[in-house]
Amino acid sequence: MSLTPLSRPLTAEDAAHFLRRTAFGATDEQIRALVGQKAQDVARAALAFDQSVAPGNPFDPLQGATPGAALQLGRGAWLYELAYGPHPLREKLALTWSNHFVIATDKVRNVPAVADYLNLLRRHAATRSFERFTLEVAQSPAMLRYLDNDQNRKGKPNENFSRELLELFTTGIGAYTENDVREGARALTGWSYQGGRGNKQYLEQPRFVYQPQQHDDGKKTYLGQSGALKGEDIVRIATSHPATATFVSRKLHRAFLADTPDDAAVRGSAETWTRTKGDVMAVLTELLASEAFYASRSRIIRSPIEFLVGGIRTLGQPKIDARSLLNLAGTAGRMGQVLLEPDTVKGWDGGREWINDTTLLLRMQVAAALTMGSKAPNLDTPPSLLALTGQERPAGAVLLSSLKGRQRTYLSLISPEFQLA
Amino acid sequence: MTNRRDFLKLSALAVAATSGMPGFLARAATQAGGPKTLVVVQLTGGNDGLNTLIPYSNGAYYAARPNIAIPKKDVLTVTPDLGMHPALRPLMKLWDEGHLAWMENVGYPNPNRSHFASMAIWHTADPTQAEADGWIGRIAEKIGDPFCASNLGAATPQALQASEFSLPSIDSVDNFQLKLPGGMNTPFESLLNSPRSGEAAYLTRATRQMLKNTARVQENVKKYKAGATYPDTKFASQLRDAARLIAAGVGQRVIYVSLGGFDTHAGQRAEQDGLLGTLAGGLSAFQADLERQGLARDVIVMGFSEFGRRVAENGSAGTDHGKGSVMFAFGQGVKGGVHGSSPDLEDLSEGDIKYRQDFRGVYAEALTRWLNLDARGILGGTFTGPRWIA
Repeated sequence: MSLTPLSRPLTAEDAAHFLRRTAFGATDEQIRALVGQKAQDVARAALAFDQSVAPGNPFDPLQGATPGAALQLGRGAWLYELAYGPHPLREKLALTWSNHFVIATDKVRNVPAVADYLNLLRRHAATRSFERFTLEVAQSPAMLRYLDNDQNRKGKPNENFSRELLELFTTGIGAYTENDVREGARALTGWSYQGGRGNKQYLEQPRFVYQPQQHDDGKKTYLGQSGALKGEDIVRIATSHPATATFVSRKLHRAFLADTPDDAAVRGSAETWTRTKGDVMAVLTELLASEAFYASRSRIIRSPIEFLVGGIRTLGQPKIDARSLLNLAGTAGRMGQVLLEPDTVKGWDGGREWINDTTLLLRMQVAAALTMGSKAPNLDTPPSLLALTGQERPAGAVLLSSLKGRQRTYLSLISPEFQLA
Repeated sequence: MTNRRDFLKLSALAVAATSGMPGFLARAATQAGGPKTLVVVQLTGGNDGLNTLIPYSNGAYYAARPNIAIPKKDVLTVTPDLGMHPALRPLMKLWDEGHLAWMENVGYPNPNRSHFASMAIWHTADPTQAEADGWIGRIAEKIGDPFCASNLGAATPQALQASEFSLPSIDSVDNFQLKLPGGMNTPFESLLNSPRSGEAAYLTRATRQMLKNTARVQENVKKYKAGATYPDTKFASQLRDAARLIAAGVGQRVIYVSLGGFDTHAGQRAEQDGLLGTLAGGLSAFQADLERQGLARDVIVMGFSEFGRRVAENGSAGTDHGKGSVMFAFGQGVKGGVHGSSPDLEDLSEGDIKYRQDFRGVYAEALTRWLNLDARGILGGTFTGPRWIA
């Protein structure tokens, strides 16, 4: 049983819901454009993105005077793309994958390596082959460095990547043994990179290399398969394991349906995943047009980035100067989400963990800056309550409607409804 | 104390209306009070216990670690067999005074080498991984006060999750206040009063709690007068905020602080040495501050990491994930010394030490003999461990 498609044409609340989940939010005009359309057409169109980017991005990480400055510029550049780029769903997926195939820029401090990694996530955002995607991530200098596989050598195994490949990237806990971790590490020996090592080479391009003399070519047994397995075999076996279909489908449901996904709906996606051999595009096309997707309202607490980008996009993408954007990226960090730098390799847990006294205070400050600050956009004709909250008559609608543009928008941005998608 | 009762009344009203926690106030009335505070320090990433409390008389230690062992001449001797990492020198004063305890060889049954599974086990105090709430969250439910424990930092660890509320995270005491734009107080109050369900109701509740917590801290935090100079690290500034909260007397029974980066798979010496220096520098300033304020009798610190590391070093001059490790505790209420026997480095389990003391026994000691709480109810069983409270 796969997922049942939505049969009705989109209502206004359906359209607002779709855009809150897939585009961080939208203006009234963008919402109206989807009303009356078929769910499948809307999902296909949103997924038909190319690799074009927002013109005029003010940040170039290669101009950074130090590794730290360059990485900060990189975060600014990504926030600009998230807020102003032509393909918000591609960026939402890249953000989701950056929280799946986690690397962190406190360890990976090479600028081209980080840029290549992010572009890899964009290129495979709705990948036709999860195996291919995983292989390219595994061979990216950013991942080789982050999980130490560049140190993994014949006779001197380093298990870090091998463990996380199973625990966090493919099958999840329960499908493998400690022995699989060790044998996987042996098979992955010899994958390393050249160039870009050390603090001074932070702008030098690193490249994947296979070092046959460091590879352990003995017999291994991995997830029940034996032979003189190589790194490619490990990736193939792990990604095609039945547990991977469920484990990664659940991550997609976490990103698009609910902080606490429904098991039955996850099973539906996992079945499609298995039938299509890890065709993420097929899984997403079905998921984003499903009844389950449209029935799942207000069940995701927006992450700091989703809150910020949602605010900017709902307000019609007002121009924000470069310094303020960099500050916003920093504020997202203080709210618990430094782009490309989750606290641990598990990534951000999200959901209720985004919410505490400090982060609530910061959300209120950001909302004030976006609506009341000296550089706030003109809000004489503010976004509708539908665009702000996803509902035509949200809690407090009478009160909100009685307020002037700025006050109404500010209060909406700090309402529980806006924190949710 | 009128203030505190008013606060409890307010929070109880707000919670009772929405959370389905009957008896919340009743428990609060019977169990609140008691000035003692436990500060929990989490070393994130898996701190290498063998290079923290070093078995410097053991040849097997040096044989297993030709590149990263701490040379005997560098260790800070505490017993004829054990010595502290040299970067921990700022804590030697506490050791000499008999107020620093090391709990040797601590772990739990069926050790898990995953950072996250193991951290969750320490946070929930449940090695079967069935429990979702944290042990400190359960303390707060038992005490009946959603502001009796807080985390210093941006994200709330699972240890502080309770089933129907989240204990506060305070990134900085100075910024822990709400300033609404002019004229917005009444509309904001009305907005929060609209009925809601599901996650929206959770967010409303969290916002109301935040309004109360911030007001309470700002009313009281001026009572703190700096008693020590802290090192210029984020960790130390969070400890300074811990001292300010304790001095403010806002009813904090547990304060949680974390220091990350201990996942030393490669080049361990440079990384761990620096981190232990940050740890000891911050903690010794914190202790000096408490002593100066006259609060040192009422505060103890307990430190842990989700696991130790493999006995043998790996090929990258680092160590991979292991099993048991050491815990530490200090303060005037702590019985100094080494509690428990050191691991046998020639009798290993998959290259790891075999733990001898269950961490829940260490928690139980803090719960019953320091916080005066029912450890059995919080830990879901009876655990005995070292008597490390004086």
